Amino acid sequence: MITSKKIVLLGHFGVGKTSLVRRFVEDSFSDNYKVTIGVHILKKEVTLPENQVNLIIWDIEGNEDITKTRSSYLLGSHGFIYVFDTTRKTTYENLASDLEHLKTTYNNVPVVVVGNKSDLVTRSHMKENKAYFKPVDYFSSAKTGANVDTIFEELTKKIIL
Amino acid sequence: MLESYKEQFLYPKVQFIVISGEGKILASDDILFPFAEKENIADCHPFFESILPLMEPKEDALSFSCVHIGEKICDINCRTFKDKHPLITIHDLSEHYESLQTVAQKRNETLIESEILTLQNTYLKEKEAFKRTFIANFSHEIRNPLTGVFSFTEMLEKTSLSDEQFDLVEVIKSLCQDLNIMINDILDLSKIEVGKFVVNNEIFDFSELLHSTEFIYTTKARQKNLNFRMHVDKKLPKYIEGDKTRIKQILTNVIENAIKFTEKGDIDLHITLNHKRANKANIQFRITDTGIGIPKEAIHDIFTSFSQVHKDNKYPGTGLGLTIVKNLVTLMQGDISAESEPGRGTTISFNLKLRFPLHYKETARKEKVEKKVLFNTKKKYNILLVEDNKISQIIVLKILSSQGSFFLDIAENGTQAMERTEETRYDLILLDIRLPDVTGYELAPALRNHAEKKHTKTPIIALSGSMLGDGKQKYRKAGINDALQKPFQEQQLLQKLHKHLK
Repeated sequence: MITSKKIVLLGHFGVGKTSLVRRFVEDSFSDNYKVTIGVHILKKEVTLPENQVNLIIWDIEGNEDITKTRSSYLLGSHGFIYVFDTTRKTTYENLASDLEHLKTTYNNVPVVVVGNKSDLVTRSHMKENKAYFKPVDYFSSAKTGANVDTIFEELTKKIIL
Repeated sequence: MLESYKEQFLYPKVQFIVISGEGKILASDDILFPFAEKENIADCHPFFESILPLMEPKEDALSFSCVHIGEKICDINCRTFKDKHPLITIHDLSEHYESLQTVAQKRNETLIESEILTLQNTYLKEKEAFKRTFIANFSHEIRNPLTGVFSFTEMLEKTSLSDEQFDLVEVIKSLCQDLNIMINDILDLSKIEVGKFVVNNEIFDFSELLHSTEFIYTTKARQKNLNFRMHVDKKLPKYIEGDKTRIKQILTNVIENAIKFTEKGDIDLHITLNHKRANKANIQFRITDTGIGIPKEAIHDIFTSFSQVHKDNKYPGTGLGLTIVKNLVTLMQGDISAESEPGRGTTISFNLKLRFPLHYKETARKEKVEKKVLFNTKKKYNILLVEDNKISQIIVLKILSSQGSFFLDIAENGTQAMERTEETRYDLILLDIRLPDVTGYELAPALRNHAEKKHTKTPIIALSGSMLGDGKQKYRKAGINDALQKPFQEQQLLQKLHKHLK
């Protein structure tokens, strides 16, 4: 039986949420940045060894302050993907407190933390920011496709469990 | 205005849809989207599929702003009732939201751009730091073979050679010296760039420095049929408190450059006192030549690293000399400038802000006459050399064995050095700063504090390739008495040994 699950991508503007969704759903990428206003909703079926899940993906507009995200967008969410841009400190310097906020407000909703644009940073940059990147589950690149499918599959597994 | 109102009434932008609790479409006016043809609202768009579970049979309302449905951007309202079917209203606000999009796009792009610029700047700094470390390490590594060539040439010079062979050996020595100067220039520049360059302040005889400069360059200029003339302001203080070596380096670089680029005519060095206040003196230096000159468009490049205005093979060099001069002048709180006319000559002017002692007695000075050091063969000294480089080991061995006054033990790393010092009491330790397992700075205090403290007072002389940021303080802190920079010559090593074994 196919079940439908709503997931929401969270994070600052310009971190690559839309690019990750586009890479996952359409397997395409564009370097041109177009700001997302409001929400785009897309759907993709994920096949796990024992389940088939219809992921309804809410790609919402970026926000510097997670507490200011429109609460209606998050209603009935089954999972979150928190995305930040590994090249821009402002997008991950409050990562720990943002995750704490999610835990407090949506206690039972699983979260996958993603550092995107990993193709643009050097090893020394990763080392320098090791402390910030501690909660990260995956480093991804929507441009190269690195880890993109894994992120969505991993969250689906967490939701189903 | 009237048209716009009319348009709103004539072309309404709101769609009404009535659904069952399970999402079955019961009625739709299809003003915006053709939903009536579908059976279930969940099949119309994934948005409806995800909100359907939230719609319970009670008096409630859910509002969602700015939702992209197809090509439109809408606000969607879902009203549920206790005893009636749910009602969904969709308001098309595309025009309004599209105008917001333009504003947000501009704002975000500007913010992202500035953050990316900051990151790129960090990467550039990282690259620069890597370059500097590379240069420092490279220069260090090149010193070991250079020490070898230097020392073996000196040894070769002492063997029975024909006149022709002797001349060839002299050429090799001279080339080694040139190479050594280049390495020193590169290292100086690295030190300046990382802010580790220290200007020493010691009282020295300024007039003596000027006399020796005059003597050296009058002779050198004469070899090229040029005239070197020095014009010294009589009001200049005799003694100066500053870095004699570096002031000499500045003068040497600028005058050598003038001689290099002048084929006939004169080189004039004017040294004048700009002003003197309390114990501070502002001294002006001006070096004028009648050489080939510099084109106007290239005049600013002469103080830039690795840039040579005259790329002709006739004028070889690294292009670092004047860059170092500029940096040294800046470190001494001075300014430097250049004026030139192609074919007529160049003038380099700079000033240095220096201190001078108000009451200084010459009697305190010691004449430094460098005598050739020879050891007495009757007394033997135990020396430990801690050095992993085979060539350096052979050089020290050869130099010491030529004196017949030394027993030499060699340790190739820190562990071996600890073992040797436990077994033997040494009169002096020669310690390479870079060892495979430990640095000289770490090893020196360890040697002093172990083996029943046999070597608490044994002189330790550091042998170092780079001396990058290795100030006297750092050596002293590690318990190192003195340092000898590679490549060293036989007499330099013997003089150091003599000084500490006396």
